Amino acid sequence: MVRGREAREQRWSGGRFWGPILVVGAALLLTGCPKKPEVGAGGPGAAGGPGAEQVAPARPITEAPVQPEARPTGEGPLKDVFFDFDKAVLRDDARKSLNDNIQWLKGNPAARTMVEGHADERGTNEYNLALGERRARAVRDYLVAGGIDAKRISTISYGEERPFVLGHDESAWKWNRRGHFVIQK
Amino acid sequence: MTRLARIIWLLLLSSGSLAVGASAQVDITVTRTVIQRIPIAVVGLRPSGVSGGGDLAAQALSVLVDDLEFSTVFEVLPPSFLPFDAREVRLGEEEKVLASLNHLKVQAMVVAELTQQGKDLTLEGRVYNVSRGVFLGGKRYFGEVTAIRSMVHRLADEVVLRLTGERGVASTRIAYANAEKGATELYLMDYDGHNPTIVTGNRSINLSPRFSPDAKLLAYTSYRDGNPDLYLLNLETGRRDKVSALPGLNISPGWSPTGQWLALSLSKDGGTNLYLMRPTGGGLRRLTNGLAISVSPSFSPNERQIVFTSDRGGSPQIYMMDLEGTNLQRLTFEGEYNASARWSPRGDKIAFASNRGGGGFQIYLMNPNGTGVQQITTVGVNEDPAWSPDGRHLVFTSNRSGKKDIHVMHADGSGQKRLTRSGFNSFAPDWSP
Repeated sequence: MVRGREAREQRWSGGRFWGPILVVGAALLLTGCPKKPEVGAGGPGAAGGPGAEQVAPARPITEAPVQPEARPTGEGPLKDVFFDFDKAVLRDDARKSLNDNIQWLKGNPAARTMVEGHADERGTNEYNLALGERRARAVRDYLVAGGIDAKRISTISYGEERPFVLGHDESAWKWNRRGHFVIQK
Repeated sequence: MTRLARIIWLLLLSSGSLAVGASAQVDITVTRTVIQRIPIAVVGLRPSGVSGGGDLAAQALSVLVDDLEFSTVFEVLPPSFLPFDAREVRLGEEEKVLASLNHLKVQAMVVAELTQQGKDLTLEGRVYNVSRGVFLGGKRYFGEVTAIRSMVHRLADEVVLRLTGERGVASTRIAYANAEKGATELYLMDYDGHNPTIVTGNRSINLSPRFSPDAKLLAYTSYRDGNPDLYLLNLETGRRDKVSALPGLNISPGWSPTGQWLALSLSKDGGTNLYLMRPTGGGLRRLTNGLAISVSPSFSPNERQIVFTSDRGGSPQIYMMDLEGTNLQRLTFEGEYNASARWSPRGDKIAFASNRGGGGFQIYLMNPNGTGVQQITTVGVNEDPAWSPDGRHLVFTSNRSGKKDIHVMHADGSGQKRLTRSGFNSFAPDWSP
């Protein structure tokens, strides 16, 4: 940011010859600048200040829906379930997935599964381990209530330590608050 | 120039604004919260000249000045303010400059000399009370060239000890977790971020490092055998003991100040509850009950109470209880998420993380009864506060660099500085005694 500003200031005092070159240089510096929000860098002359548009048109922000490379449900025959923030209550969509999982487990009586409880990155690591544990147990308890032998289901919590989708907003978080099934060999 | 500089120095001293060279903004913070820094002159450490090309003495001087400034105890007099060449002062001749330092209202002086013989270094330092013209003490340190920073840190801690009666923290270390590709490993580094060294290396998930009060053991949680179990690593011998491996979680260790108890969270009985155990294993004693979450215990310095995070009231909040698990008291009420409470070593404050301001966690201080809440971070999202052993500083996790890094600050929130640059997320710091 600072380097971009210096380049632009030189441009105002620079001669005709150097002007265009400095414009290109400033544009490169601006686009090469990391997106760190720096408090106090918003004053006159900072990026976005007078003349910023003509120097470097801000690259338009593009947006695309985030789809996990591999949906957790695609990893095996058992569907993952997802939770609300700081909650381990099974939502309707989760119950639907778990009902399907119960049917599959009944049809494959030799199969054993591990339920992993996960949390999104918000909150503390230690609290999220406990939250993941609670989610894993909520899933296990639902399966047991649905007639699956508790001996066939183990649980583990990974808290926020193994996010399924990397990202820092709800589009990632909603996939990371999950109960994930792993078939045990 | 020098004369003008001296006048500025005196003006700064008399006005009470002691942040020389800092911006006006920092000045305000410092003068409001730091009561009085001791003006100190650092002299000696003559340029060592040839060997290896590098100026080891200059490196030593830079480390020493950084340590003394960071201590918050001292204001180091800029060398350009002195009427003599500070680095040319030789050991044995330092008393000659006391008078002119006294004239500048400098209260303390440290004189040091570094000598090198091959790979071996000798660092000698002497501390003076300038206003009384008294020699307070001296030390000589021997080590290899590679240990130069550690030697200087030891001298800096000695200077703080001689002038305040309490040892400095420059020789302490910080433990933290580093989320690398496919693994989260634990590291130790010097208190200033130098010499990061891996201490786990099992390519698993390792979390929550906590130094024992004698700094010899590191408690932590590791998934190395599949389950989140609790381990103790002996930092002197390298021996690792798995001390709690009950079904479910064995997490969030917290040492009692005497080291005779280790608090931890277990999920073996449903819920995630707090227990006490003996660090040697056994003696398990349950502190909380029910299906709520209770994690992140921190003892009061008198070992009578524990603060911790619990969602028993519907959202994560900070509670206090005694060592029998009785006299439970909720300390935080504002905000949906208050956690990571750490009792200061002096006992007067509890640091914690809260989202009460909206927009993610910030670090706050409060009195042990929950009153006097004071916000001390504002830039980025900040969490995981942990105190320095002298209670003058805090280490914490911040995402202000674009990812999570370990930062330090003084206990009033001033002097915030980034310590880690691994390129990965670094978090969950703990400061060694």
